[in-house]
Amino acid sequence: MNLGKFIERLLHLVPVLLGVSLIAFLMMAVTPGDPVEIMLGDQQVTEEQRIALRQDMGLDLPLPQRFVHFLENAVTGDFGMSYFHRRPVSQVILERMPATIELTLVSLLVALLVAIPLGVLAAVKKNTLFDRVATVGSLMGISLPGFWFGLLLILLFGVTLQILPVSGRSDLGSSIAPVTHFLLIDTLLAGNLEAFRSAVAHLVMPALTLGLPMAAVLTRVTRTSMLEVLRQDHVTFAEAKGLAPMRVLFRHALKNALIPTVTVAALEVGSLLGGSMIVETVFGWPGLGRVVVESIFTRNYPLIQASILLYAVIYVLLNFLADILYTVLNPRVRL
Amino acid sequence: MKTLKSLTLWGLASSVLAVAGVVCAADIRVGYTLDALTLDPGNHRKRETETILRNMYDGLLTRDSKMKAVSELAASWKQIDVTTYEFKLRPGVKFHSGDEMTSEDVKFTLDRMIQKNGIDGQTSPRGGLLGPLKEVQAVDKYTVRLVLSTPWAILPAMLPFQEIVSKAFVQKVGDKGLATQVNGTGPFKLVEWRKGDAIIMERFADYYGGSPAIPPVGPAKADRVIFKVIPENSSRVAALLAGDVEIAAELPVHMMKQVESGKNTKVVKVNGTRSFFVSLNNTKPPFNNPLVRRAANHALDKKLIIDRILQKTATPINGVLSPDTFGFDATLPAYEYDVAKAKKLLAEAGFPNGIDVTLDVEGAFAEMAQAIGSLLTKAGIRTKVVVGEGSVLKAKWDPKKPKVGDMWLTSWGNGSLDPEDIFAPTLATGDRGNSAGYSSAIVDGLLSAASTETNPAKRAEMFGRAQKQVNADAPWVFLWVPQDIYGVSKRLKGWQPSADSRINLHRAYIE
Repeated sequence: MNLGKFIERLLHLVPVLLGVSLIAFLMMAVTPGDPVEIMLGDQQVTEEQRIALRQDMGLDLPLPQRFVHFLENAVTGDFGMSYFHRRPVSQVILERMPATIELTLVSLLVALLVAIPLGVLAAVKKNTLFDRVATVGSLMGISLPGFWFGLLLILLFGVTLQILPVSGRSDLGSSIAPVTHFLLIDTLLAGNLEAFRSAVAHLVMPALTLGLPMAAVLTRVTRTSMLEVLRQDHVTFAEAKGLAPMRVLFRHALKNALIPTVTVAALEVGSLLGGSMIVETVFGWPGLGRVVVESIFTRNYPLIQASILLYAVIYVLLNFLADILYTVLNPRVRL
Repeated sequence: MKTLKSLTLWGLASSVLAVAGVVCAADIRVGYTLDALTLDPGNHRKRETETILRNMYDGLLTRDSKMKAVSELAASWKQIDVTTYEFKLRPGVKFHSGDEMTSEDVKFTLDRMIQKNGIDGQTSPRGGLLGPLKEVQAVDKYTVRLVLSTPWAILPAMLPFQEIVSKAFVQKVGDKGLATQVNGTGPFKLVEWRKGDAIIMERFADYYGGSPAIPPVGPAKADRVIFKVIPENSSRVAALLAGDVEIAAELPVHMMKQVESGKNTKVVKVNGTRSFFVSLNNTKPPFNNPLVRRAANHALDKKLIIDRILQKTATPINGVLSPDTFGFDATLPAYEYDVAKAKKLLAEAGFPNGIDVTLDVEGAFAEMAQAIGSLLTKAGIRTKVVVGEGSVLKAKWDPKKPKVGDMWLTSWGNGSLDPEDIFAPTLATGDRGNSAGYSSAIVDGLLSAASTETNPAKRAEMFGRAQKQVNADAPWVFLWVPQDIYGVSKRLKGWQPSADSRINLHRAYIE
């Protein structure tokens, strides 16, 4: 890929983000609910105090002006103050984002590690018992609601067997100095194996809850595209050349069959980010998703706006990444 | 595939067998619904944040188990005149840093809250909790005077909401620093705040001991206290059953059985401070007619709902106040459950064939609303339950806007247990929580007089009269005050739930 194309693709981000900002802003403007009233709750308050808070939050300005302010500041990375945390939005997001990214990446890994072998095997053993079980299993995986599956895991491993911690991200015993803010890496960097094992233990259930439904989708995609590729001439030719079956399968078939899997995986990471909102609540995972949900209920506009923008950027970049991966998997594809 | 999945699960699970269930006996872990928003006690307006902070910060006053304001950092207090209160501070109280707490710290704390833009350009959302506080005077090292712009009888009841910060510390770390660091005078000091995950505190050895009115006095018994954030009810209960936490806050009624049947867990309850009611739209037909409002009150079998749905965890009320509130009138007449009477009242009001109305409710209380709706329907008040999102309903029933709904199942909290804090906001004409649009010159007059009356007996008498008037006018369907329910480990001792929903762990320990 040449640099010009790369920059062109990056420039596509600008109108997308502008559009997303405007839609998010308008949606919040038409949704009833007043953050000042929500914050003040049930107690007495004087009118002056209420007006002071409204000014504090910038809610006294007319809507268009608020939007322009938001854009002006956002360009410099300033997303304003979170109404309820009373700290800069960027700070709150940065505190929570690593936990969400870590969970998402591990869930993606779980999904790929389960889906690709299963999908390939199901295709190779087409119409056998294994294939049918895999197909039915993945249908179930797609159909299971994440929060319910998560609660079942908690009941089994947390309450009945008591072998996995029910919630949180780490053990409360030791404190790990944050370097990358990804606990799996930081614990290893600190050389604290006990803390690493604890971090893994805390990740198992949330990552399975988030990863297995995605694995179900990817298994079906991999199986279908594998079946298609296996029927193609170049595979028959490779077999005819007398190449080892494994070599044919992995070098000649799988590499091509992975293109749809990569596309779907990239799109599904978006839904992983969305799904993490529920999973983070069920497992008390200290990620961004939970803060966003809380912010929606409390009309914490600056935080909602910044998070939506962030999710949009991630989503667009992932699709971009998927496009680049195509060119690696199949050199005939050009960006 | 299924076998494969469970094999994967087992494989992963067994590899971490050794990690789970590491327990330190001297830790008390609380499964809590929300993380602290900030650690700055002056810059938030969230009960959960206050509950967490209160274990590290003390206030001038606190509340005893009867919810009476008692001295904490203040050794004593008295009223000098109608607008001036004087507090004598306990000498020798240490902040976690080792510095002594003095009147300068109290003045600094309260000034920060009442000044506009007083916290790094932001206005404290807690200013309203200090009412008409105008000025704070540090008379000498251990004497502080609070000067009000108008008389405000509930100042002592409201002071437990405020925690004292160290002036020197805030000047050193700045307002920004105070948002993430703690230097209080409370029984525990901050070890680590893992945002969104847990707040870890340890015993403060030099603690002065706490309020003498709440024995035993002395340093905290537990080595560490940890608030673990577990927002989902089922997960919080699971954590309790698994022994991951010793207290599970906000236990839902339908999970009480599960906790009671646990080998090491039990349910504890305390009377809450939140009054539930169905706000009736007093400004338009049919509920602008008092006869119809009374009919609605007679149509409801409260006992049935309390027994069946709330599993006997609520106290019925016939007015706005909960039974623990100052000035509560226990003699208010009850609207007895009487369908025939309700129908008769409806007919008298000109609705012999009944009425068709809607009942707004947010999701969490939908089941309760369905029960209320079906009982009202039986009496000819044919009710359609409409479930909406909390903030949307709050905006729809905003007293400043024209009223369009018929009924709203809602509630109002009263953490100070003083009528001032619930009566005026919900029933004074046009006040911010008066969703019913109720307006009575008699009630307005009594509430306004009571707010500046400093003689407790006279205040109680005024609130008594106001309660009778409201009971007769029936602006709402009066419902109940639910109890706060907690699941706790049987090994936890020295802790009682508190009606103000605080979880003070100073005296708690694990047996």
